[in-house]
Amino acid sequence: MLDFFTIFSKGGLVLWCFQGVRGPAATAPVNALIRSVLLQERGGNNSFTHEALTLKYKLDNQFELVFVVGFQKILTLTYVDKLIDDVHKEFRDKYRNEFQQKGTLGLLNGTFDFKDDFMRLLRDAEESSRVRAPTVMKTFEQSLKSQKTVKCMIETRGEKPKEKVKNKKNKGSKKEGTEAVAAPGKASAGDKQPSAAGDRAELTKDEILQKNREEFFKRHMKAGEKSRSPKPEAQKEKGKKPRVWDLGNSNAKVLDYSNSATNGSADAGPVEEFDTDIALRDRNREPGRLYDLEYESEDEAEEEKVVQNPSKPSAKKGGLGGMFGMLKGLVGSKSLTREDMDPVLEKMKDHLIAKNVAAEIAVQLCESVAKKLEGKVMGTFTTVTSTVKQALQEALVQILQPQRRVDVLRDVMDAQRHRRPYVVTFCGVNGVGKSTNLAKISFWLIENGFSVLIAACDTFRAGAVEQLRTHTRRLNTLHPPESHGGRTMVQLYEKGYGKDAAGIAMEAISYARNQGFDVVLVDTAGRMQDNAPLMTALAKLIAVNAPDLVLFVGEALVGNEAVDQLVKFNKALADHSMAQTPRLIDGIVLTKFDTIDDKVGAAISMTYITSKPIVFVGTGQTYCDLRSLNAKAVVAALMKA
Amino acid sequence: TFLPPQLLTGKYRDTQTSITDSSAVYRVGNDKSANVTLIDLPGHESLRLQFLERFKAAARAIVFVVDSVAFQREVKDVAEFLYQVLIDSTVLKNAPALLIACNKQDVTMAKSAKLIQQQLEKELNTLRVTHSAAPTSLDGSGTGGPAQLGKKGKDFDFSQLPMKVEFVECSARGSKGEEGDADFEGLEKWLAKIA
Repeated sequence: MLDFFTIFSKGGLVLWCFQGVRGPAATAPVNALIRSVLLQERGGNNSFTHEALTLKYKLDNQFELVFVVGFQKILTLTYVDKLIDDVHKEFRDKYRNEFQQKGTLGLLNGTFDFKDDFMRLLRDAEESSRVRAPTVMKTFEQSLKSQKTVKCMIETRGEKPKEKVKNKKNKGSKKEGTEAVAAPGKASAGDKQPSAAGDRAELTKDEILQKNREEFFKRHMKAGEKSRSPKPEAQKEKGKKPRVWDLGNSNAKVLDYSNSATNGSADAGPVEEFDTDIALRDRNREPGRLYDLEYESEDEAEEEKVVQNPSKPSAKKGGLGGMFGMLKGLVGSKSLTREDMDPVLEKMKDHLIAKNVAAEIAVQLCESVAKKLEGKVMGTFTTVTSTVKQALQEALVQILQPQRRVDVLRDVMDAQRHRRPYVVTFCGVNGVGKSTNLAKISFWLIENGFSVLIAACDTFRAGAVEQLRTHTRRLNTLHPPESHGGRTMVQLYEKGYGKDAAGIAMEAISYARNQGFDVVLVDTAGRMQDNAPLMTALAKLIAVNAPDLVLFVGEALVGNEAVDQLVKFNKALADHSMAQTPRLIDGIVLTKFDTIDDKVGAAISMTYITSKPIVFVGTGQTYCDLRSLNAKAVVAALMKA
Repeated sequence: TFLPPQLLTGKYRDTQTSITDSSAVYRVGNDKSANVTLIDLPGHESLRLQFLERFKAAARAIVFVVDSVAFQREVKDVAEFLYQVLIDSTVLKNAPALLIACNKQDVTMAKSAKLIQQQLEKELNTLRVTHSAAPTSLDGSGTGGPAQLGKKGKDFDFSQLPMKVEFVECSARGSKGEEGDADFEGLEKWLAKIA
C-alpha cells in the first residue's frame, strides 16, 4: 500500500529506503518536500502532496534524521501516523550507538538493516487498523445484552410488582417516546427482549428502552454536564411513575443501569464485578459528581480519558519537574519537549505580531520552529529561551534569503544583448507608491547607463500621466542627452486617459523595440485585491505582454492585509492566464520603509507568502532613496526587545 | 553531498537534498598521517549563505563543486554564488586555496574545465560591475565599497585573486554507470597537496 519509506539524515545521506508496490524514484518527491516545506519553514502540519503522492514526515531533531513515508493521494491510510512513530522509535533505539559515537562516519559506514523490523511494523500497523472498527461494536452489544438480562433479574426482584403495575399503564406512551428517541440498534435490542419470559420481559424492555435512551443522549452529547440534563429528564419521565413510591431507589437503579451499560461499552471486563460491587455501592451513594466523571470518561471516548489522565499526573509532575528542569536546563543536556517550548513560543509569537508580522504567519512560523526543535538536545548553559530565539532567528533569515537571483542589472544586460527591451510591470493596491518608486528605479537605471521608456498604463487616476511627465522632465534635466551620447535617457509613452491599459503596454513595448530602449517600466493603476473586474484587467495586461519582471509594490505599513493582498493578486494572475505556467509575482518592492522604525514585520509576511524575494526597498521620496534588502539587519530589528 | 561519502568510503550511497552540514575526517594519501576534516554544506539557495557564514573562518580550503552538465543554463547562478564566496571579507583575508571541481564529467554533455573557467571569468567580470552598481543595503553597508575582485580596468581573471585557484574535473559516479568507481584522482591529489 505504501509507495515508499525513506530514512535519511539531515546532512543528506539516505540511511534506508523501502520501495513499495509501485516504485517510481523516491528522490524527486522527497526533494520537493524538503524544498518547499522544511526549507521554507512551512513545517506546521506534517503532510505534503506532490503530484499523485501524499508524503508524511517526521523529524528527529536529536539525531538529525528525517523519516518520510509516501503513498497514493487517493488512499487514506489511517495507520500511517502510528507507523511513523513506531518506526522512529525502533530505528532510534536500534542504532543509537552509531549515532552518538561516530557522527557522520558512523552513518556512512554503518549498514542499516532495517527491512525485517520495518516489515513487521508495517504488518502490525495494517492489521490493527483493519481489525479495530468491527470488534468494538460487538463487545458493546454483547455486554449490553448480557448485562441487561442478568441485572434486571437481580434488581427487579424486590420491586417487581409495583413497578410492573405502573409500567403497564404507561408502557404504551413511553414506548412510543423512547422508540422515537432510541437509535435503531438499541430498538432492536429492546425488541428482542419480549421474547424472554413475561413480566420480567416487560419490565426489562421498559428499562432497556430507558437505558437506551439515556445512552443515546450520552452518546450524542459530548459534555458530561449535558448528559446530566437528559439523564434527569429521562429519570423524570420514568420518575413520573416511580416517584409515587420510591424516588431514591429508582434513581439509583437507573444510574446503575447506565453505569453498567457504559462499563460494558468500554470493555467486556467489568461485567462481572458490576453486579455485586457497583450495584450495592451506588444504592448508598447519591448520584453525585464523582459518579458522573467516572462514566463520562469511560463512555464518551477513550481519547478523553487518555487526555485527562496524562494531564493530571503531568500537572503534578510539572510542579516538581519545573524546579529541576530549570536547574537541569542550565547545566546538563536536556532534550526539548513541547511543553518547555510552548510558553517561550507564545511570547515570541506575540512579539512578532507586535512587530507588525501578520498573525497567521507568526503562528505558522512558531509551529514550524517548534517542530524543528522538538527532541533536540540542548548544549550546556543554554536556556530554552535562547535556543528558541536562535532557531527563530535562523528561520527568519532563511525566509528573507532570496530563492533566486536578485540582480536586475544583469538581466537587463542580457536583454540588451538580445536586442529586446527588458519589461518591468508594477502592480499593487492604491496609494502604495508605485509611481514614486518607478521614478526612483528609472533614476537608478539611468545612472547605470540604460535608457528607459516609461509606459503610462494608469489611465484611470487623475493626474497620473502628468505626474509621470513631470518625473520624466526632471530626470532628463538631471541626465541631459548630451552626457549620454545624444540619446534621451528617459521618455514617456502615454495615450491619455480612459484607454485600455493592456493595449497601451503592448504599443509601448513595440515602440521601445523599434527605438532601441533598454528598459520599459509599465506603471499600472492601483486596485483593491477584491475588485474582480480590475484584477482581471491586470491579469490580462500581464498575460498578454509577458513582462520579464512582475513587481508587486507593497508598503511596509501594512499589517495582516499584506497576506490577503498577495494571495489574491497571485490568484488572479494565475486564474486569468491562459498559459500552462502562469506569470506570477516575481518580486516585491517594499515601500515607505522610513516610516516604520523597527516594526519591520511586513517584510517577513510578504516573503513568506510568496517565497519571492524583496527586490527593492523604498526609504523616502527623493530619487536616491532606493535600497536593497539586508536580511540580517531586518531580522535583528525584528528580534530586538 | 554526493561527494564526501564517495571520497571517504568509496561506496555509492543514495543522497537527498541536505538541510544541514555534515562533517567527517578524511585521511589523506597513504603514507602521510595528515588528516583533513571535510565539511559538506547544503547548496539550497536559502541555506547556502548561512552555512558559509558559519564555516568560512575555519576553512583552510574551499572546494566549489559545479555541475558541468547544467552549467550552461545555470552559469549566472553559479557565478553569483562564486562571487559571493570570493567577495567575502573573511575569505579574502584568509585566502584559502580554492578548487573548482567540475563534477558529472561522466555525462557526455559535460563541459570541460577549461570552458567552465572561461565562462566563469566572463560572468564574474560582469558581476563586478552590476554588484557595485546595485542599490546600497538598508543599513548602509554597501556592496561596491570594500571589495573589488581582481584588478580594476582589466578583465577579470582567476589569477588576479589573492588565493590559489585550480580547476579539476571529476565524476562522482564514474563512467561505468551507477555502481562504478568514482573518478577522483584530481580531487584526491589536490587534497593531498593542501593537507
